Amino acid sequence: MTVDTTLVGRDDPILITGASGFIGSRLLATLVDHGFRNLRVMVRPSSDVARLEAAARHRALGTRIEVVTGNLLSRDDCAAAAAGVALVFHLAAARGEKSVPDAFMNSVVTTRNLLDACLAHAALRRFVNVSSFSVYTNRGKTRGRVLDESSPVETRPELRGDAYCFAKVKQDELVVDYGRRFGVPWVMVRPGYVYGPGKTAITGRVGLGSFGLFLHLGGANPIPFTYVDNCAEAILLAGLTPGVEGEVFNVVDDDLPSSRRFLRLYKANVRRFASVYLPHPVSFGLSWMWEAYARWSHGQLPPVYNRRTWHAYWKKTRYSNAHAKRRLGWAPTVPMAEGLQRYFVGCREATRHA
Amino acid sequence: MLEVAIVGCGKIADAHAAQIGRIAGCEIVGVCDREPLMARQLAERFPVRRCYADLAELLDRARPDVVHVTTPPASHFEIARACLEAGCHVYVEKPLALDAGQTRALLALASENGRTLTVGHDDQFSHAARRLRALVRDGALGGPVVHMESVYGYDLAESGYARALLADKTHWVRRLPGGLLQNVISHGIARIAEFLTGDAPAVIVHGFTSPRLRALGETAIVDEVRVILGEDDGPTAYFTFSSTMRPSLHELRLYGPRGGLLLDQDRETVTRLPGTRRTSYLEMFVSPLDVARQQVGNVLTNARTFLGRDFHMKAGMKTLIEAFYRSIVDGAPPPIPYREILLTARIMDVVFDQLRARRPAEVIDDRR
Repeated sequence: MTVDTTLVGRDDPILITGASGFIGSRLLATLVDHGFRNLRVMVRPSSDVARLEAAARHRALGTRIEVVTGNLLSRDDCAAAAAGVALVFHLAAARGEKSVPDAFMNSVVTTRNLLDACLAHAALRRFVNVSSFSVYTNRGKTRGRVLDESSPVETRPELRGDAYCFAKVKQDELVVDYGRRFGVPWVMVRPGYVYGPGKTAITGRVGLGSFGLFLHLGGANPIPFTYVDNCAEAILLAGLTPGVEGEVFNVVDDDLPSSRRFLRLYKANVRRFASVYLPHPVSFGLSWMWEAYARWSHGQLPPVYNRRTWHAYWKKTRYSNAHAKRRLGWAPTVPMAEGLQRYFVGCREATRHA
Repeated sequence: MLEVAIVGCGKIADAHAAQIGRIAGCEIVGVCDREPLMARQLAERFPVRRCYADLAELLDRARPDVVHVTTPPASHFEIARACLEAGCHVYVEKPLALDAGQTRALLALASENGRTLTVGHDDQFSHAARRLRALVRDGALGGPVVHMESVYGYDLAESGYARALLADKTHWVRRLPGGLLQNVISHGIARIAEFLTGDAPAVIVHGFTSPRLRALGETAIVDEVRVILGEDDGPTAYFTFSSTMRPSLHELRLYGPRGGLLLDQDRETVTRLPGTRRTSYLEMFVSPLDVARQQVGNVLTNARTFLGRDFHMKAGMKTLIEAFYRSIVDGAPPPIPYREILLTARIMDVVFDQLRARRPAEVIDDRR
């Protein structure tokens, strides 16, 4: 894609929220690499800016990266960040909050504040909302086992028992609502599991560590990985490609490994540990039992893992990236084998320094 | 049917809504938050009749019998006062107010209006805390309390809340008169206030910023506090608040003339501390066995409670709310005596006053 065909020019102001995060810092580096020169990043006072500095290190002469330190919960901070921006990449979101109100406040209230600030300046040409696969219910899909952009989103996210899912569903609803009511030109990007150096955890789609034992739940399921650089490139294209307003793009790489293959590679390349495979009917039965117990006991042990969780994470599913390839011209530049190798090296280094 | 409202729809409001939902004979008729989105998210997840963004509108339209105030502490006084003036009974999350003056005013207003007021010291209503209270009542100490030790640990390193607090120099917790301490120590102080007999204990406070926080460049937050409390004819007490001490304990030790009791809040256990010892080697073998026997008893008690479906994370809150509602419906005494609520606030005032006026501790040198 040349700058002549993109939605914004190299000198148009671009805002990235969550720029110090795992994906945000790579997106910033990608924007710099593509020659965008008028970048503004918003980071919280508590953010670790090391990634940000690394991303900005290779910028060309004349590239301006303005750092706005603030909190999206403050309307004043949002106004300062959004002033005059033509394109917003909104990646900031609640991560790791276990309580729904905290996750909601740091995803939905913040997004509302940012959207209001953008509307006040009236210069916005695109609002890229970075969502997540976690919003999909993965039940009643139109294309059977294939999860794509037409798949239904959770209608009762409060029953998933996952604060992040609830907040992300509500954030997406808010963005669509602002598009309908105020004409905000949004594009939604929903990455699968974003991996790469800097992340060390094994995704819960593969399994869960518990009482010193790893319960392998994925089995033969493909895991919807997307390498962080590939994901950043897709987000960038979602911001720059004209004519895709109101569209959702799922981002997963090609050649997805099965959960079983990933686990084998991880053990061979990073560290060995004991794992036990729970066949899908067993994990489904246990999810049902936990749910039933929680109901019977009036929530004594809240059903963190329930049938909705099972459908979303452990049901056998295939993933499509055809829409992003066709509409955005995106293709993963880092192949799966190379991405996994880089990830394993990162994990090994982190284990050594732990 | 008691009609209940919740004002403030953050994290702790979830716990209130969940526990109210477990109590028969009440209904949440409204939730209110200045941020309408926050009110709506609570109403979407719990059975709530309607949500509001304005307190006056909630009081006017929903006309609740009871209001739970779950906002940050700086707003407790104004909201609780408005609710009491509107004729509601009020449950305020801890701390009840910012100082003893505000606390006294709210208690007086509640009494004048014939309404009941309580504060969210729900730890005192956990299963273990109630077992401890029953043992004291049954004479396990062999007389009045002689001395108490209340330890309240707080893990600053682990929580996202703490990270945000440390990074944000304008965080609302920093603006409280007692800073971080105001938001967290009332549980530990209230445990002591329950067993103090007088209303004016002497208080000596030593507090400082831990080396760990100082290494992070933080000097304004006091996260280590030691307090000595004493009454001439009554019990004495030590209170310890620490962010660095490990294990991070939440304990109360009560000592009487004939024996003691240890409450471990985190493990929901109560242990008797024998007042006599054997004058033989048997002490080294029989006493540990006795401790083991008591701990097995604690395990069995907890298991029974769990199997009885009453071992929820906020079981103490449910018991406190039930007792509060009972006091409203049946005219029973309020679950936490007003004297205790006020004494807790007064002790906290003295702690904060002494910390504000603190000077470098006098060092004992060789010449003394």
